[in-house]
Amino acid sequence: MSALKRVQQWATFARIWHVYDAAWQNPFHSAKLLKKYLMGLHKPIYHPLNDCGDHVIVINTGDIALPEDEWKKRAYFHHTGYPGGASWTVAWELHDKDPTMILKKAVYSSMDGNLQRRYTMERLHLFPDGKVPADLMKNVSNQIQQIRPVPKRLDHYSEQERKEFPKLIDYPKDYILR
Amino acid sequence: MVFTSVANFVRSRGPDEFWRKRKIFKMAAHYIGRSRNCYSLAIRSVHRALVFATKGRALKKQDLANLWVTRITAGCEQHDVNYHVFRESLSRSNIMLNRKSLADLACWEPFTFKALTDIAQKRALEEGIAPPKGNKVLFVPKRGSQKKT
Amino acid sequence: MSNSHIFLKSGFIRTPSQNGVGRYVCQLQRVVLKFCKNNGSSRGMREFVESELINFAKNNPGVVVYLKPRRHRAPVISAEFLNGDKQWVSCHNYSKQDISKWLNLLRTQSGNTTGFRLRKLQHTDHPSIQGPWTPYTFKDPAENLAEYPNTELSKPKIQLKTATDELLEIFNSVQISDKKGVE
Repeated sequence: MSALKRVQQWATFARIWHVYDAAWQNPFHSAKLLKKYLMGLHKPIYHPLNDCGDHVIVINTGDIALPEDEWKKRAYFHHTGYPGGASWTVAWELHDKDPTMILKKAVYSSMDGNLQRRYTMERLHLFPDGKVPADLMKNVSNQIQQIRPVPKRLDHYSEQERKEFPKLIDYPKDYILR
Repeated sequence: MVFTSVANFVRSRGPDEFWRKRKIFKMAAHYIGRSRNCYSLAIRSVHRALVFATKGRALKKQDLANLWVTRITAGCEQHDVNYHVFRESLSRSNIMLNRKSLADLACWEPFTFKALTDIAQKRALEEGIAPPKGNKVLFVPKRGSQKKT
Repeated sequence: MSNSHIFLKSGFIRTPSQNGVGRYVCQLQRVVLKFCKNNGSSRGMREFVESELINFAKNNPGVVVYLKPRRHRAPVISAEFLNGDKQWVSCHNYSKQDISKWLNLLRTQSGNTTGFRLRKLQHTDHPSIQGPWTPYTFKDPAENLAEYPNTELSKPKIQLKTATDELLEIFNSVQISDKKGVE
């Protein structure tokens, strides 16, 4: 193999580090997106036997948004292996214990259960907030776009903007604002 | 042929035993253990292998087609085109490339492939080709693709 | 069903050291012609040895030719190549012309082709003209300077209109029509 071809090979199979901001994102939709980057499905050189998956750093997993009332309804099952060892943890409880766990499980279960899955998961780095070790962050060279826009809260609008917003109705005089 | 008894009928079937078995042993030559030397085991595993081979011929084609679709989808998405829109637009533009050659282009001749996606994008805009409705695949276009031209 | 290929070596078509580009090295190094002096099956081989072998040896000084007479055995050509391959050709009842053709084939071959299975019938050293795809091929160079994580680059590109936006739009259009009505 000539020197040029060797470099070509390195370039084609280079591992890219991506960063993804999970704030206000649906973890199950995000999982489908992240899975593509982790497995290398976003590359036209993809083959299940060639090792072309990328690294993904996910920040702000503490701020994920579950749809509807899934915080209350979604239960995560665990069995210790001993009799009576079954336990069900509700999503909000699990999120309290480990803010990265819901996204991690979502990504894990979005992939097929084969021998490669554990190694693919090793390339996923989850952080509950924006604090990422500098030695990881310096590798990053791409930002994965979010699936949906981050909503802006009322108290993030300035006083001026709030005043200029068109008034739809006047409250009745006896209406009590809490 | 006239068979006077069942025993004679059984004995008269097929070619000579040695050659009949040799045919099977030749196909079992690369097996390990007794299944390469014992006829009753060899015929069992050869039969199994031949069934796999028959099924495998169809499966190989399906697997490759799936791989090509994955690769074309990957190529399309970095240029912000949906796979279905891409294929439909190309066929309407009279570019009759099959999945194999499209996947090859995406991998080996990336700029040719980009030209194809450009054609597809334009055709899709002109004729209003949209991705199928049941298509729930997440599709996040890349920056700069939505620029009006 | 033939399963003769299962123990064969397999690989791709290749030319040893770009043979034939600039210079040509005959890959056939040694040829042994084995035959019987009496047996009828070696008649063609004997005729070849008598009439054509000298010319063959003269024309191909790079090939070592051995003759190996042996009693009551079938005639065989055994060819050894530069890459270590060895090929036998059984010449039972072959005529002089046949042997001459086979020898010529062996001379122009680069190895034992009968003991080798080709995985593909074509091969190229340069599969790509534009250069194969790399993750950097279509990357925007401006992104090299970006600081990550980057809120601007993180924004989704398809921005559907929110209810707030629509409300503002309706409000503005109503205001314009009101003004027109007043005028």
